[in-house]
Amino acid sequence: MRGAEPAIVCDAVSRCFGERLVLSSLTLAVERGEILGLLGPNGSGKTTTLRILATLLQPHGGSARVLSYDVASETMEVRRRIGVMPERPSLYERQTVEANVRLWADVHGLADPGEAVGRALQFVGLEDRRREPVGSLSKGLKQRVALARAIVHRPPVLLLDEPSSGLDPLAAAAMENLIRGLAGEGTAVLLNTHRLAEAERLCDRVAILREGRLLHLGTPRQVRAALLGHIVEVELAGAVDLPVRRAIESFPAVRETCWAPSAIRVRLTDSERDTPELVARLVSAGARIIAVRPAGDLERAYLELMSQPLPGSLAA
Amino acid sequence: MNAVIARSPVRALARKELGELRRHRMIVATAVVLPVAFLVLPVANLLFYDPARAIGGPDFAVGQAMFCFFLTPVIMPATMAAYGIIGERDQGTLEPLLTLPISDRELLAGKVAAILLPTLSASFAIYLLYMAAVVVVVSEPVRTPALDWSWPFGLLLTGPLLALFSTLTGLVFSARSKDVRVAEHLSGLVLLPSMLPVLLIVTRTVEPSLVAWLGFAAVLSLLDYALWKLALRAFDRERAISTV
Repeated sequence: MRGAEPAIVCDAVSRCFGERLVLSSLTLAVERGEILGLLGPNGSGKTTTLRILATLLQPHGGSARVLSYDVASETMEVRRRIGVMPERPSLYERQTVEANVRLWADVHGLADPGEAVGRALQFVGLEDRRREPVGSLSKGLKQRVALARAIVHRPPVLLLDEPSSGLDPLAAAAMENLIRGLAGEGTAVLLNTHRLAEAERLCDRVAILREGRLLHLGTPRQVRAALLGHIVEVELAGAVDLPVRRAIESFPAVRETCWAPSAIRVRLTDSERDTPELVARLVSAGARIIAVRPAGDLERAYLELMSQPLPGSLAA
Repeated sequence: MNAVIARSPVRALARKELGELRRHRMIVATAVVLPVAFLVLPVANLLFYDPARAIGGPDFAVGQAMFCFFLTPVIMPATMAAYGIIGERDQGTLEPLLTLPISDRELLAGKVAAILLPTLSASFAIYLLYMAAVVVVVSEPVRTPALDWSWPFGLLLTGPLLALFSTLTGLVFSARSKDVRVAEHLSGLVLLPSMLPVLLIVTRTVEPSLVAWLGFAAVLSLLDYALWKLALRAFDRERAISTV
C-alpha cells in the first residue's frame, strides 16, 4: 500500500459519452473503514464513477486513485485491490455458488482458494448452499453470492452498485449488516444507492450527484442540516412547563422555537454542535425527554435538493 | 502465445469457460452432433465404396472423407467463439469479469484454450475412430490410400492451426458485434473461403506431400498470429461493456 492518502481519491474526474458530459470534475475521497454513499437520480453519474474506479472506464479529465494507484495507468494494481459488486448479480447461473466464487479466488491467485471461498461464503451465510446452482437461488441470495465473490480476496476497497436493489426489507437489512461488518474491518466502501433511508443508516457520508455534478458531500446529518436547516424536535413525557420554556429561551444558540403541548421544535445555529447543550439545559430544567431527533430525514433533504434548479444551469 | 500471460488466471478462466460451455445446450448439441455426423459420413463413404459406380478413384473418395476431418476443427469452434464475448456481455457477466486482475491477453487465451480443448479432442477422437474403422471394416481399394501417412500428418499439423484460426475469427467478430447470431454469420463468411487450401489438397489438385502440408501450416501460422493481434485490438473493454 502506497502513501497515506485516503483509500479512494477522485480528483476533478470528468467523463464524456460522445458529446455528453456525464461526470463533471468530481472530487471526493473515501477513507479506510468509511462507507460513502453516492446518491442521485438515474443518469447523475453514480455508476460512471464506480466504473471509472473499477477500471472499466477511463476518466477523460482529472485523475482517480485507489490506494494511491492510478486507475488509468496502474489498472492491474487497482484490480488486485478492489472488490466490485455490479447492480445485477451478474453470476454464472448454470454454475454452482462455489464455482462462481472460486473463479474469483483462482484469478486473484490466492494461496488457498478453497479456504478463501469457504470463508467468504460463511461471511454471507451461504456455506450450506455452496453446491447449489446459482440459477436456483432467490435474488437476495444471488446478491449475497455476488458479495462473497467481491470479497473473497479480502479487498481493502469495495465498490458496490446498488447492493440492495430489488431486495425485500429483510434481505436488504442483512446486506446492510454485511456491508457494515466489512467497513468495521477497515474496508473502504463506496456504494451507489437509491434507498435514502438505507444511506442514512449505513453511510458515514453521502455525496449527492446530479447531472454529473457533486452537489453535496457530508454526513447525512450535515446534508440534512444544510438543506433543511438545523432543526431539532424534542418530545417530552409531560407538558412543556415554565422552567423548560426559560431553559430554551435563555439558550443563545436557539434561533427559532415552535411549541406544542408536549413537544418543542427548535432551530439551532448548528444542530450538531448545539444539540447536546440543549438537551443538558432541558434536563437541568426538569424536562423528562422521550426523544430528540433532527427534523426531516435525508430523503426530504434529497427531494428538496432535487427540486432546486441546478447551480449554474439556465433555470437557476 | 506470450510469456506475459500468467498460467493461473488463464487456467481458471479456461475452466470456467469449459463449465459454461458444458451447460449450454446449443453448444453441447453442436459439439456432439457435428463430430458424430462427420464420423459416420466418411466411414459410410468408404465402407460402401463401389469402384464401378464411384465418381473419381479411391483417392478421391478418401479425399472426400478427409475433408470432413479438416472441417470439424473449423466448424466446431465457430459457435463457441461467437458466443465468447458478446454472449458473456449479454448475460451480464462480462463487466465483473473485467474488474479482475487479468490482462486482455489472458482473457482471450482462457477463452481460446476452452474452445480448443473440446474441439481438438473431438476432432482427433473421430479421426482415430475413423482409422480404426478403416483398419477393421474397410477393404481395398480405398483402404491403402485411407491409411496413407500424409493424412494423419496433415491433420495433426494443421488441425490445431485451423481450429485456432476459426476460434480467433469468431472472437474477433464476437468482440465487435452486438449480437451472437451476427458474430456467427460473419465468422462463417470468413471461414468458408479459408477452407479452399484444404479443398485443393483433399481433391489432390495439390498433392498432399510434406511440402504442401508444411507450406499450408506456415500460412496458417502467420494468419493465426495476425488474427491473435487483431483479436487483441478488436477487444476494447469499454466497447465490450457498452450496450449501445
